[in-house]
Amino acid sequence: MYQYDEFDRQFLNERVAHYRDQTERYLAGNLSEEEFLQLRLRNGLYVQRLAPMLRVAVPYGTLSAVQLRKLAYIARRYDRGYGHLSTRQNMQFNWPELAEVPDILEALASVEMHAIQTSGSCIRNVTTDEFSGAAADEVLDARPYCEVLRQWSTNHPEFEWLPRKFKIAVTGATHDRAAIAVHDIGLRAYHDANGQVVFDVYVGGGLGRTPVIGALIYSGLPEQHLLSYIESIMRVYNRYGRRDNKYKARIKILVRAMSAEGFKAKVEEDWAHIKGGSAQLNPADLEPLQAAFAPPLFEDLDDQQADIEQWRLQHPAFSQWLHHNVVPHKQRGYAAVTLSTKATGVPPGDVSDEQMDAVADWADQYSFGELRISHEQNFVLPHVPRKHLLTLWQQAQEQGLATANAGLLTDMICCPGGDYCSLANAKSIPVAEAIQRRFDDYDYVHDLGELDINISGCMNACGHHHVGNIGILGVDKKGQEFYQISIGGHSGHSGHDAALGQIVGPSFAREEVSDVLATILDVYVEQRIEDESFLSCFQRIGLDPFKERIYVNND
Amino acid sequence: MSTTIKRNGDEWQAQAACIVPDWKQPEEWQPGDALLLPVDAEPNPAYRDASLIGIEFPAFTDGRGLSLAVLLRTRVEYSGELRATGAIHEDVLHYMVRCGFDALELPPGRDADTAVRLLAPYSGHYQGSVSQAQENATRVQRWA
Ligand code: SF4
Repeated sequence: MYQYDEFDRQFLNERVAHYRDQTERYLAGNLSEEEFLQLRLRNGLYVQRLAPMLRVAVPYGTLSAVQLRKLAYIARRYDRGYGHLSTRQNMQFNWPELAEVPDILEALASVEMHAIQTSGSCIRNVTTDEFSGAAADEVLDARPYCEVLRQWSTNHPEFEWLPRKFKIAVTGATHDRAAIAVHDIGLRAYHDANGQVVFDVYVGGGLGRTPVIGALIYSGLPEQHLLSYIESIMRVYNRYGRRDNKYKARIKILVRAMSAEGFKAKVEEDWAHIKGGSAQLNPADLEPLQAAFAPPLFEDLDDQQADIEQWRLQHPAFSQWLHHNVVPHKQRGYAAVTLSTKATGVPPGDVSDEQMDAVADWADQYSFGELRISHEQNFVLPHVPRKHLLTLWQQAQEQGLATANAGLLTDMICCPGGDYCSLANAKSIPVAEAIQRRFDDYDYVHDLGELDINISGCMNACGHHHVGNIGILGVDKKGQEFYQISIGGHSGHSGHDAALGQIVGPSFAREEVSDVLATILDVYVEQRIEDESFLSCFQRIGLDPFKERIYVNND
Repeated sequence: MSTTIKRNGDEWQAQAACIVPDWKQPEEWQPGDALLLPVDAEPNPAYRDASLIGIEFPAFTDGRGLSLAVLLRTRVEYSGELRATGAIHEDVLHYMVRCGFDALELPPGRDADTAVRLLAPYSGHYQGSVSQAQENATRVQRWA
């Protein structure tokens, strides 16, 4: 993992002091509500429906056991004993006191963490594959580049006041788990024919009320130009992005207005002035970062297949968990494990301080002190020796973190929705819970196989409903909460470009949602050919068979 | 009355603004005049010959003026006084300074002492900037 040096520590201490000063001036009446709003957002603090919400950055979803214990402490000391894993790999606290936030930030700084730029119209936390450094299909670990981008974008003097928020995602694997096509900038890192690291640069993707798949504007950008090219993209966006209407202010609207080619031309006109200048990334500067993310000292372990077969026979539930929550690792004898937060009855992504402490202990015991937060709102232990899988599973069961549903229907992505969020049209957590209760038969859910259900409480799409295989969106109909359902979205998988879901038709009342889902799944089960996934089946048969069945009773 | 904070070598000084420059808009401007630009102006190479350039911020959250300042300093190579005017306040000045402004005209009612105190809240930066060159690169910069 990346370790702070004196420079980082000093910067962060100064940032905390700066924010403390801002908070004090606000409380003393020297900063207006509107002025302070902009400053607190850039330090992670929202004011939500019920209370402030503090969003802590977990850069590219990687954190250490020590850091997670500090988050557990913050949950206990400053919150109500829990935190929430967000779809952008961050941790959110729902009940901090505004006046105490500088103290929380100081506690975070003591473990090299912060809440900088987790909100506001600026460059946000860079996200990546939660299996970075572990996944068997990884071409290269993108995290050194994520860290470069984190540093470069932190407190950038020119790009702190953009038209709107700006999200960058990077992947270094063949299977894109970072959803790069639906980010303001998406980067795919790989080696070119000469073995040099290059990037495909996508721009203008995004969800929200105008969902768009990003356009590829540069194929094979050499590593040395990464920062200068992004600087030019940012400059064009900062200068020409719309500021008159916040719903039209994202870069995707600008790219559409200029066309991808026009946008690229504008970027490269600027880039021509800076690409040969001092903004180049030197291999020597990258070296310490590559070293920081070098693989841990793996042992030469047996894959333990015989024991594992034995355990599977003894514990059918372990077998299910192994099937869904344990993925192959680069290194023989190891596995990457998803600890699902999606137990029935718990809001997706919510974790208690006790669970955090337990996960931190397992990270120390089994995974080189390292763990991840996935955009599906689960914890991941990236490097677990296979010989410890049974013990880990037993311990995770005691903490309610062993639900065998990673990637299945009940592993839903769900935003905080109307229970917490002041922007919501409708609640989302009760919908997720109703679905979990309705589909609590493991065999059925297992038989359905890979299925992403994504739920957002409004069109801001924090629950990524557009790219759910089944997406559920809270809408407001004459003051009543309704839900619009779409089918067929996905964020890019094994060779397929990302696609946005298609809306099935008029929206539904909350009580109807689970029934509609059951109908959709019936159609799939009847129509699928052999072990065809829900998504492949949809891509083959299209929307109509689903639509006809759903609305048949309403005619 | 408004106050203007100006760079004088490595020092910054607050001065009550007694003389208002004779600002000219881009369409009526002649070389040697004081030029007042809106944040969405294009960086015209002719502006190098202005005696003074002001960029007027419609809101402190409007970052266009920051990019324009960078372009005036780096592309146009304008080296005279570059003044931020309009709706600015003490918490955004440090960004402005790093983008090449060397004069900051605070709106009436803002506290100049606080503003001067907050001109450089950070001793190091993660990225290079226009001011780096002006400050004899005394500050650490991580990335260019
Ligand atoms: S999608 Fe809407 S309701 Fe849900 S968290 Fe985002 S803004 Fe709030």
